[in-house]
Amino acid sequence: MALVRTLAVIPHLVRMFVRTKLEYPGALVLSWVSQAVSYGSMYTAIALIVARFGTLGGWSWSEIALLLSFHLLAYSTGASFSFTQFRVMEDLVRQGTMDALLVKPISTWTYLVFSGFNIGYAGHVALAIGLMGWALTQVEVTWSFPLALYFIATLVSGAMVVCALMTMIGATAMVFVRSRHLYSIFFGFWELARYPITIFPLPIQVLLLTAVPLGFISTVPVSVILGKPVPMLGDFAGLACVLAGPAMAGLAMLHWRWCLRNYQGAGG
Amino acid sequence: MKARAYAAFTVNAFQSRLAYRSAVWSAAFGDLVFIFARIAIWVSVYGAATSTMTDGVTLPQAITYAIIAGPVLYWDFARLLHDVGTAIQTGDVAVYLLKPLHYPAFLLASHIGHFLFELLLVVLPVVVIAGLTYGMVPPASLFHALAFLGYWALSFMMLFALASLAGLAAFWLMTASALEWFLMSIMTLLSGGLVPLWLFPGWLAAIAGHLPFAWVSYYPAAVYLGRLDVSQTLLYFAIGLVWLAVLLGALAWLWTRARHRLIVQGG
Repeated sequence: MALVRTLAVIPHLVRMFVRTKLEYPGALVLSWVSQAVSYGSMYTAIALIVARFGTLGGWSWSEIALLLSFHLLAYSTGASFSFTQFRVMEDLVRQGTMDALLVKPISTWTYLVFSGFNIGYAGHVALAIGLMGWALTQVEVTWSFPLALYFIATLVSGAMVVCALMTMIGATAMVFVRSRHLYSIFFGFWELARYPITIFPLPIQVLLLTAVPLGFISTVPVSVILGKPVPMLGDFAGLACVLAGPAMAGLAMLHWRWCLRNYQGAGG
Repeated sequence: MKARAYAAFTVNAFQSRLAYRSAVWSAAFGDLVFIFARIAIWVSVYGAATSTMTDGVTLPQAITYAIIAGPVLYWDFARLLHDVGTAIQTGDVAVYLLKPLHYPAFLLASHIGHFLFELLLVVLPVVVIAGLTYGMVPPASLFHALAFLGYWALSFMMLFALASLAGLAAFWLMTASALEWFLMSIMTLLSGGLVPLWLFPGWLAAIAGHLPFAWVSYYPAAVYLGRLDVSQTLLYFAIGLVWLAVLLGALAWLWTRARHRLIVQGG
């Protein structure tokens, strides 16, 4: 019964937030365009390096383009459900607003995620799909129905990894009050994840596959799809990409519940 | 008296950052990971190249360039844009108009404080760790070392002027966020912070090399490595000063326009 009620409320929460954003259409469109242009500049810079040296870690430009677009699409999908929502968690805790959310007749996580569903990532998504569309016509992949399903499943799994990590960072504020600074670390590793994992020293490869598993939002699934070897994981890489998202979501749920149980407000 | 007041803003900004100690180590760690990614790119492409030198630059020089052009020169201008954007959106900017200060000068004073804080507590540890891990080459000569210091100051002022100009545009657009993204996109490509201009196609390098963005990262790092001889170093420093004068003039003009444009919602 509670699940049915929650599912019925979610579209209303999303609709309300989207309507508030659409009240400022000029700012919204400007934000979409500026963000897409910014990522386009970064990708052009990477293309210049690949053009000058031929490959990057043995990857051609079209393969790198697929990697970048996969990274951007998985990130923006996961972040639209989480980043701006959980970035303000420490403010909610410090100002006491979190207390008001806890007594709402709906799961706090569900309320936070869907009442702030960020359509500001549309520019990211448009650029990612455009670049991915081009890259897929250039790379040598023999497509089949199961491979296409696998491609989508790994994208969803990657988005889940992003959402889970964002949730865990945000939830930490319930116990330690401050957590926003941890996003600096997240984005450091996020930057690493847009390049082939093989160009990094072994300790960084280990971190990208374990403690901060952002390798699963881009470089590992794209390596599997392109038939490139994945260090350490080997033949397990394909399955690991699909399992990473649900596993991280489970871990994030446990962390969220632990933080919720230990929440005392900012004032003690 | 006024100079002392602005110096107080610098000290105040520095001290205010000391209150957020947890942000320091996480920013340093994030920057460290970030620079390791950049260095890994150069190690990878140079490792696969047939020659140890590309465009007259060796791998140790490329790594040094990445460290200098990245964390050392490319300071966090997003904070400045965020400060201006918040002041405009909340109406706090009106308070600055009531005080006996020049708002852009206040921004400069306080962001020198932020810059010094990040330099001492974030950038230097990152440079030391990256340098010890991968190695850094020294400046090409004593002249280039001294010239680099001058270029560094010019780089700071250039990025401040560019970020402030973008920030003041928020008086018209009412959003600094999109302006931050636009400036970031221009800086990513044209400042040379990620890709040195010598790797650009000739026509693009010729254009980018004469735009003010190149004085933020490319020219200071290129001078450090000795890519410019003595006369070129002096010539391009003079051109950079002209660009800075133009940008500061534009900033002063835009500020006089923005003050009269100000609308505080609800007041």
